[in-house]
Amino acid sequence: MYQEHTKLLDTISIKKSKSLEVTGKQLHISTIKRLHINKMGNQKLYKGSLQTIILKLLETNDKMYGYEITQKVKELTKGELKITEGALYPALHKLEADGLLDVEVAKVGNRLRKYYKLTENGTKETANKLEEMQEFLKTMQHLVNPKFSLE
Amino acid sequence: MKLSEIQIENLYKFTRQHYVYHYDVQTELVDHLANDIEQIWVEHPNLSFEDARDKSFKKFGIFGFMDVIEAKQKQMNKRYWKIIWRFTKEWFTVPKVVTTMLIFLGFFFAFQIPYSEYLFLATLLILITFEMIAVYRIRKEHKQKEKKEEKIFLLEAMLGTTKNGFTGVTFINLFNFIHLTRFNFSSLNIYWLILISSVITFLCIIFYVSNYVLPQKAQELLQETYPEYKMVKNL
Repeated sequence: MYQEHTKLLDTISIKKSKSLEVTGKQLHISTIKRLHINKMGNQKLYKGSLQTIILKLLETNDKMYGYEITQKVKELTKGELKITEGALYPALHKLEADGLLDVEVAKVGNRLRKYYKLTENGTKETANKLEEMQEFLKTMQHLVNPKFSLE
Repeated sequence: MKLSEIQIENLYKFTRQHYVYHYDVQTELVDHLANDIEQIWVEHPNLSFEDARDKSFKKFGIFGFMDVIEAKQKQMNKRYWKIIWRFTKEWFTVPKVVTTMLIFLGFFFAFQIPYSEYLFLATLLILITFEMIAVYRIRKEHKQKEKKEEKIFLLEAMLGTTKNGFTGVTFINLFNFIHLTRFNFSSLNIYWLILISSVITFLCIIFYVSNYVLPQKAQELLQETYPEYKMVKNL
């Protein structure tokens, strides 16, 4: 249902009418818009956490290369989060510049592969960032779902 | 299906065509594209190499490799300045601090001579001329390297060219500033002279480090920065 609605946005241009007739059901524009924004917003929400995600992955996997990271994230989130190439490498380079990551290069088959791993500082920072993340999730939980917090 | 040697070479050329000029940045992107192409072939075994490559490239978005290049340059800039700082610090420890003090005192007393600004302007002019010659020579060398399609690392290029851009611009700015404001050093009070002499001494050290010390240590610094440097250059 969700995908169906978002697909609609790509194919149907909404004009003046306030609602749409879709396979016999009335669908209000605001619903469609909300669904669409949800989908876009998701990726935006993840974006701020990209560094934490990378650090966490490297903490559990010792050393990884760029493509491996994108695949691993896809696998772990069952396709919900796709790290784009244009965002991953800048993030990796930033972490390297900050001294949190170290690089290793190995020849694999007929090409060179660059592996990233945590430095000592990186390991410490990972713990910090994960703690921050937990705090953040807790706060959001309180804000978004006040009932939950009363329990 | 794995990519052949020729296809890997083609990917290097492809990154070059998309404005990635430095070998270290190219290498990471080539490995990424290669992995992705192999993955695409698992799903669409009949796709040609070129089509699979273009499909993979599209995932980088409309700006292509630009974001990656920019981030890499920022990272390397940070590294470059860290290296400069590492060598500059030496000039504030014994025994080099003696030289630093002498340079400082030299400027400090020279500024107190009447019309010292003309002396200073003349020195700057000479330095600018030397800079221009150095820049010209390095550009020529660089072009030759490019023609030979040598593998140039980002930091390698920075050790060679950035410094000249930086010092050259600093000198010209300093020259213009003094020239246009008709600065008169000998009429300034002593605190200003101390401040100006300190800044200029500091600039001199940075100039010396980036122009003479770093190029001399280039091999060492590159090996320290790039684990693959030895492998690639067959050292």
